[in-house]
Amino acid sequence: MSSTQEKPEELDRIQKRVNKILEARLESDKDTLDALSGLSTFFTENTLQNRRNLRSQIEHRSVGINENFLKAFRQVKLSLDAVCEDLDTMATSVETMKSDLETSKALTKDLIKQTNTMQRERDRLEVHKQIAQAFLARFQLSGAEHQLLYGAAKDAPIVADFFRVLDRVQSIHADCRLLMQCGYQTAAIDIMEEMTLHQEGALERLYRWTQNHCRSLENNEIGPLIVEAMSRLQDRPVLFKYVIDEYAIARRAVLVRQFIEALTEGGPGGNPKPIELHAHDPKRYIGDMFAWLHQSIPTEKENLSLLFKKCDKQDISDQLQNALGYIADGVCHPLKVRVETILQAEKDTIVLFTISNLLRFYQQIMRQVVQGGSLEECLVELQKSSEQIYLGALAAQVRSVLQRPSGGSGLALEPPQRDLVPPPSVARLLNMLKEILSVATMVDGRQADITKIVSCVIDPLLQSVQESAAHLPTVDMGVYLLNCLHHMQSSLAVYEYMDERVERLQAQSDAQLDTLTSEQASSLVANLNLGPIYAILQSNQSKIETNLLKIFMSKMDAFLELPDVLLLPQVQLIMSSSHRAAVQKRSFNVIVAIYKQIYERVHDPANGFEQPEQLLHRTPEQVAHILTST
Amino acid sequence: MVEPIFEYQFRLILIGDSTVGKSSLLKFFTDGKFAELSDPTVGVDFFARLIEMKDGTQIKLQLWDTAGQERFRSITKSYYRNSVGVLLVYDISNHASFEHIPLWMMEAQRHIEPHRPVFALVGCKLDLINAGGHREVTTEEAQKFAKQHGLHFVETSARSGANVEEAFRMVTQEVYARIRSGEYKAEDGWDGIKSGFSRPNSLDFNLVVAEPEKSSCC
Repeated sequence: MSSTQEKPEELDRIQKRVNKILEARLESDKDTLDALSGLSTFFTENTLQNRRNLRSQIEHRSVGINENFLKAFRQVKLSLDAVCEDLDTMATSVETMKSDLETSKALTKDLIKQTNTMQRERDRLEVHKQIAQAFLARFQLSGAEHQLLYGAAKDAPIVADFFRVLDRVQSIHADCRLLMQCGYQTAAIDIMEEMTLHQEGALERLYRWTQNHCRSLENNEIGPLIVEAMSRLQDRPVLFKYVIDEYAIARRAVLVRQFIEALTEGGPGGNPKPIELHAHDPKRYIGDMFAWLHQSIPTEKENLSLLFKKCDKQDISDQLQNALGYIADGVCHPLKVRVETILQAEKDTIVLFTISNLLRFYQQIMRQVVQGGSLEECLVELQKSSEQIYLGALAAQVRSVLQRPSGGSGLALEPPQRDLVPPPSVARLLNMLKEILSVATMVDGRQADITKIVSCVIDPLLQSVQESAAHLPTVDMGVYLLNCLHHMQSSLAVYEYMDERVERLQAQSDAQLDTLTSEQASSLVANLNLGPIYAILQSNQSKIETNLLKIFMSKMDAFLELPDVLLLPQVQLIMSSSHRAAVQKRSFNVIVAIYKQIYERVHDPANGFEQPEQLLHRTPEQVAHILTST
Repeated sequence: MVEPIFEYQFRLILIGDSTVGKSSLLKFFTDGKFAELSDPTVGVDFFARLIEMKDGTQIKLQLWDTAGQERFRSITKSYYRNSVGVLLVYDISNHASFEHIPLWMMEAQRHIEPHRPVFALVGCKLDLINAGGHREVTTEEAQKFAKQHGLHFVETSARSGANVEEAFRMVTQEVYARIRSGEYKAEDGWDGIKSGFSRPNSLDFNLVVAEPEKSSCC
């Protein structure tokens, strides 16, 4: 594109253009660069033709490009149409889905609401579950506990945990009251009912176990479990009583067997020796039997106390005594048979009395251990029986002594002898009585025994003495009776409980002393010739013949010198010196009294006695002094 | 506190002259009290107490107090039978009561033989001597007698309680030792020694296999 000749204006314009191109910074105009780069692909030569075709070529190229583009775009359009169609379909679907969703949403609104409700319910129920579990743990038995209560197998033994569970049952039952107060009446009642059933079942099982255990208490294994069992069974008085009865039955059999063994076999291998080895010695034999019982029965009592150690809900002492009485009952028969055999065979009154004392002693001492029951009755009965037997033996012995050797039917002593001393039979009976009374005794009730024994001997003896004295003259009878009474009194006075008897004997003695005093005084009056004078004194006459007084005083003087010469010979036979002195003194006092009256009469000037001092030269005091000093 | 169950039961008897203090001794041992006024014992009296051995074993003592008066002698003699221990009691301030100890001992031996009981010589009323009373039996004299006859010996006071526990403990311990050594056996029927209620197997009592327990030890 060069020209040979150009105008200056054209050169300037070309230069402007070049400058403009150079200043255009083409390297930084990407579009231009790209265009140029594209142009270079088909504008290979810079010819006029090429330049003239450039526009059409460019336009042609542009049309081609556009056609390609259009062709490609057609594809795009088709795809896009498909997509658009799909989109429309999707829009339709979405619309459908949307409406479905709206429908579903409407339908499931309740469901969701319900779900939420149920979720909250679940949470609440979870809490309830925990509460229920806690409740069950508190108000129900666990499986293990249930098994402990009822036993894993039939006849399973009771163990200590049984009582823990039983406590739990009772605790739950008690806690139900709280439930009641909180308003859960139905639950509380149901649980209480259930616990009651558990308790009944448990106590029933406990009862059977305890009863069986008590039945086989051969060696008295009252362990802690039995003690605890009895404590629980208190709540069921009938079952409690049955168990006690069972125990008592078992122990009763054991006690009887042990007693028989002690009697017949003794200890292991014969040591200690059998009690019956000493059966020939009644005191020893009976004493050993009772000592054995006295040592065994407190052991049974202690065992019962141990059995009841934890029984604190009511007074158990009556049941203990009843059970103990029942246990002790068993020994009554073997004991009674043996004691009665001894009593029937023994003849010695002293031995019989000793046995009776022994029985009374043990009667009292056993009562301290076991009250009521057959054993106490048995002892009372044996004691009465022994008393009857020894009193009977004593009475028979008395009768045999009082019987005449000739075998007459009535009681009679040997006839009194001239010396008026008690006959040998009296001494014999009194010695026998003393032997009995000397038996050492250790029981209350002794006084009643002594009284009976003394009556048994003294009463018939007194009767016999009085009968044998009846035919004697008055003075002899008095002395004889006095001597016999004195012998009785002196024999009895040294023993206890004799006050009444001695007092009665003394009264009888006093009566005889009065009789003898009267007789002696009468004798003195007669011998001193006081009869006529005394008659005058009694008749209140004023005159006493001097002659009578002289005779009297003569005898009186002789009497005062030797007072004893005028004593009745029988009075000398009084055995008791105090009795003799009493008779003498009292009769002399009578004489003194009479003398005093005479003396006063004679010395009264009114009576006109001349020289009374010569008639009665002794004063009454002098006479009294002389007589009392003898 | 729950009272413990015992392993064995021993029967002891107290003998000696009247008024030496047997009953007071027993009363202190069982009650822990001194009886200011004490009536003479009528015949025999019964006491019981638990005592613990050195190894912790519980022993129940069955104690029989006897009257010292002559008139009860025929009764008290029957109680020697089945006694495993005998306490010979005298009054320290009364020499006559000590002089009678040999008679009491012979009587006990005669009634208990062939069993050989454990004897203890026990002097009472130590408090009187400590209070200035006149001692009539010296400790040496009693000790010598005890040694000669193989007796345990102790002087006691039931008023102050001095040595009371020891008096019973020494006898019980000796009986227990003889059981352990096999000299004594808790044989069925020998009441001096009885098996108690807490033998180890009694807690495992089983009705199905149960049979009467044999009384045996060692």
